[in-house]
Amino acid sequence: MVWASTGRVARFLQGYGQEIVVAAAILVLFGVVDAVNPRFLAPVNLNTIFSGNAYIAVAAIGMSLVIICGHIDVSVGSLIGVLAVIAGTLAVKGYPVWVAWAVPVVAGVACNAAIGALIAYSRIPSIVVTLGMMSILRGGLISVTGGTWITNMPAGFFIAQMRLFGVPLPVYFMLVLTAITAFWMRSFTAARAIYAVGGNAEAARTTGFSPERTCIFVFALHGFFAGIAALLFATQLQVIQSTVPANLELTVITASVIGGVSILGGTGTVIGSTLAAILFGTISSSLIFLNVSAYWLRAVLGLMILATVLVDMARRRRSA
Amino acid sequence: MKLTTGTLAFTFSLLAGGAMADSVWTGGDSLPTNPLACDATPGTVAAQPYNGGAPTNPPDRKGKKLTVVDIPKLIGIGYFNATSKGIADAAKELGNVDVKTDGPTKANIDDQITFIDNYITSGVDGILFSANDPVAIAPVLKKALSKGIDVVGYDADASPEARQWFVNQAQFNGIAKALVDNLAKEIGEDSSFAIVTSTFTTPNQARWIAEMGAYAAKCHPKLNFLETVEAQEDNVLSFNQASTLINKYGDKLKGIFGMTSVATPASAEAVTQANLCGKVAVIGLATPNAMRPYVNKGCVKSVVLWNPVDLGYAAEYVLRAVADGVLKPGATSVKAGKLGELQVINGSEILLGSPFVFDNSNIDKFDF
Amino acid sequence: MTRALLRHETIFAVILLAALALLASRSDRFFTLDNMLNQGRLMAEVGLVALPMTFVIITGGIDLSVGSTLGLVAILLGVLWHNVGLPLPLAMVLGVAAGGLAGLGNGFVITRFRVPPLIATLATLALYRGLAEGISQARSVRGYPEWFYVLGQGDAAGVPVQLWVFLAAALLAGFILTFTTFGRTTYAVGANEVAARFSGLHVDRAKLLIYTASGLVAGLAAVIFVSRVSTTRSDMGTGVELDAITAVVLGGTSIFGGRGTIVGTVLGLILIQVLKNGLALSGVKGDGTIVVIGAVLIASTLLSNLFRRDGNG
Repeated sequence: MVWASTGRVARFLQGYGQEIVVAAAILVLFGVVDAVNPRFLAPVNLNTIFSGNAYIAVAAIGMSLVIICGHIDVSVGSLIGVLAVIAGTLAVKGYPVWVAWAVPVVAGVACNAAIGALIAYSRIPSIVVTLGMMSILRGGLISVTGGTWITNMPAGFFIAQMRLFGVPLPVYFMLVLTAITAFWMRSFTAARAIYAVGGNAEAARTTGFSPERTCIFVFALHGFFAGIAALLFATQLQVIQSTVPANLELTVITASVIGGVSILGGTGTVIGSTLAAILFGTISSSLIFLNVSAYWLRAVLGLMILATVLVDMARRRRSA
Repeated sequence: MKLTTGTLAFTFSLLAGGAMADSVWTGGDSLPTNPLACDATPGTVAAQPYNGGAPTNPPDRKGKKLTVVDIPKLIGIGYFNATSKGIADAAKELGNVDVKTDGPTKANIDDQITFIDNYITSGVDGILFSANDPVAIAPVLKKALSKGIDVVGYDADASPEARQWFVNQAQFNGIAKALVDNLAKEIGEDSSFAIVTSTFTTPNQARWIAEMGAYAAKCHPKLNFLETVEAQEDNVLSFNQASTLINKYGDKLKGIFGMTSVATPASAEAVTQANLCGKVAVIGLATPNAMRPYVNKGCVKSVVLWNPVDLGYAAEYVLRAVADGVLKPGATSVKAGKLGELQVINGSEILLGSPFVFDNSNIDKFDF
Repeated sequence: MTRALLRHETIFAVILLAALALLASRSDRFFTLDNMLNQGRLMAEVGLVALPMTFVIITGGIDLSVGSTLGLVAILLGVLWHNVGLPLPLAMVLGVAAGGLAGLGNGFVITRFRVPPLIATLATLALYRGLAEGISQARSVRGYPEWFYVLGQGDAAGVPVQLWVFLAAALLAGFILTFTTFGRTTYAVGANEVAARFSGLHVDRAKLLIYTASGLVAGLAAVIFVSRVSTTRSDMGTGVELDAITAVVLGGTSIFGGRGTIVGTVLGLILIQVLKNGLALSGVKGDGTIVVIGAVLIASTLLSNLFRRDGNG
């Protein structure tokens, strides 16, 4: 494969290697499962896979930015739970629907900007701050809601159930936000600051980027995406639970990491994390279609994550 | 390249291996089943000697104010919000009970044990519980008994010697019969159904599923079980799993059982969003508030099989009766406020009564 | 450096004493010998897991799979004894060994394949938990012989058995970390891995040993847990990793590696346990306790950073 190892094709393969691996895995699964049960690729099931996991993809966009910048956020699951409840409560109390949509997003930005400031100026590692915030948000949510679910929201509120030209809105959110962010990451200085600070903060400082302001900015962006994800999450069903979705943060982090964002900071794209979120949805759905014994579901999932990671590492070593 | 193909091949072979699913009935436990008769003959329950535990040297609590704590499997889901409300209502009626509900935010035995342990130390008079695991919770409950605390369970039992009484919403085989009969009525004898449950390690759900299997095999042999999926207590996951089931089986799937108060509304939502309202039946345990939109639309015909508020209410009254010395080992019935006399079965269980069905005619009257 | 370290531990000890005093004043059942020993019993499993976690974090790594390893070993213990029919002591030993194997697997993926520890243990978190679920087929194993329960529910000389185990393990871990070459290697790897490698230290071997130890100790904690609750379940140990990491970080170990002590970890464990217990005794419900612990984590790290002069995060 000489043509693959020279020139622009080679650079493309190297630069987007992990994304290609993930996309390939999705296509292989599509092929294999469809052969077993053709209903797998029916529009309704594709809809379940894409639309049902769109909120994870959107949250993973923000998480990818945070990880590229050299930090991590384990409180995103709790934050989404809280923002979802805020959205639902506003809707039930009779506020206009756009208010119920806008306030959680603003709240997400504000909350995470504060976290970002704390991390930037107090020098506490991000894992510590977000570990603490995770507890605070999780406990606080129960304290405030008393554990009751939110029901009886007005019909116009359910943004995740609306469709445009037959395609559910969450899919648009996922694709459009990914595309815009990916383009922005390649072309704008502010985005380059994120990569630079993630790669080497002190070196970035000497070239004129401020690690502190970048950190706050990145976390604020992350809060924006978390807010949108919370809206998509909250409006899929007619009730909103008042407990935080279990393991959501691990799923989002795994999606970012599998998608090629390096935990060491400085590299990766958001296209990979979106593809990875889609891969997870595909895997969950295919395990049911393939009649994998439910008892072995999680083991198979873990094995696939490990396999994807090992493949990525092998690929990096070969190209290094 | 070799490593890539190697790992991918290995992974897919594992998938294929896992694809050879084991027994047809997944989700049920392996304890002996006792299906009821196919007609309306009630099951016979032989009288049994009292098999509950006893507190060691309890102080005389007759007529005195009680401090009681209610520790359900987890807090934050509709079902336990309802039982908690029932307990609070009973406490208000009794007037001399101070009760609060506290519990873990995840259905985790370790957390639940820690909660109970802390309340033992703080010196409560009585503990109400719904166990995440009947055996794991036994040591700490026995410790409570040894400190003279009264212990009464509801909804999910512990080993009998670890508590004094257990308020049972309905017999496992009775619930199984009602569920399967109702589904067969809606979808016909010659149809296929699937189950959405919480996890395979929740004892109640596992018992119900096992009993449902035995009863269906006995009385509705043509009903075809497709599969069971797990959805924990997460309603978005339940929705996705139910949707995937609908996608996978297409026309073949005629009915879905929701085994938890989270799974049933989520399954109903999946059916609604797939525009299969009325074509796929959804039956199961849920609270009226969560199911009202579906029942009013005609998507779901009947819901829930007992009243969790009454369950909590009865549990609180039982605890008061135990503390007052009114309910003693060997009793055959107990008075529980507005619910009247409740029967004692199986030695130390108190039966709430017959299943309660919410449907179009009465669902608007409830708020929990 | 010793002075700076001592500064953090002393600040921490002061915070701990203040918390103890405050909680004791809110409830007279808090500061009794009976209660303290009982808390020691409840703390043993997370405590054991936090000891090798200290080593792991000092080397700049992390191990998120300890909870799943705990669940896996618990299930294996039951299955080996009940289904395979091995004598219980042998099943216990094999179970703990399996935990070590799981840890070795982690170490292998991290050193041989150079996968970052966060990712590797994130994958094994799912894999090991999945193995536990698959092997157990959702069945629990119960009905152990009486002598088995002594480990988790019994006392020796008035002190809970598992507390003795934890104290012994803590002393051993502290000794290794502070006085042996291995301990110094651990610090060196965390401070600057490349420099450590070039200085001729066996970095990979150290890491392998540390992750294996993490798995082994998780296995031991699993045996104690099964003994304490007298049954096995595949969901045992969920969340233990975050509790352990919180305790380690609270105790002054830097998540970036290179700094940390066992004393700090033990103090962190004690603080979290007394908070959970003391707050419950003074009437705060579960959700409030979770919020307080989160706030304490952030506040105490903030406080100790304020007192630190060397500018490292």
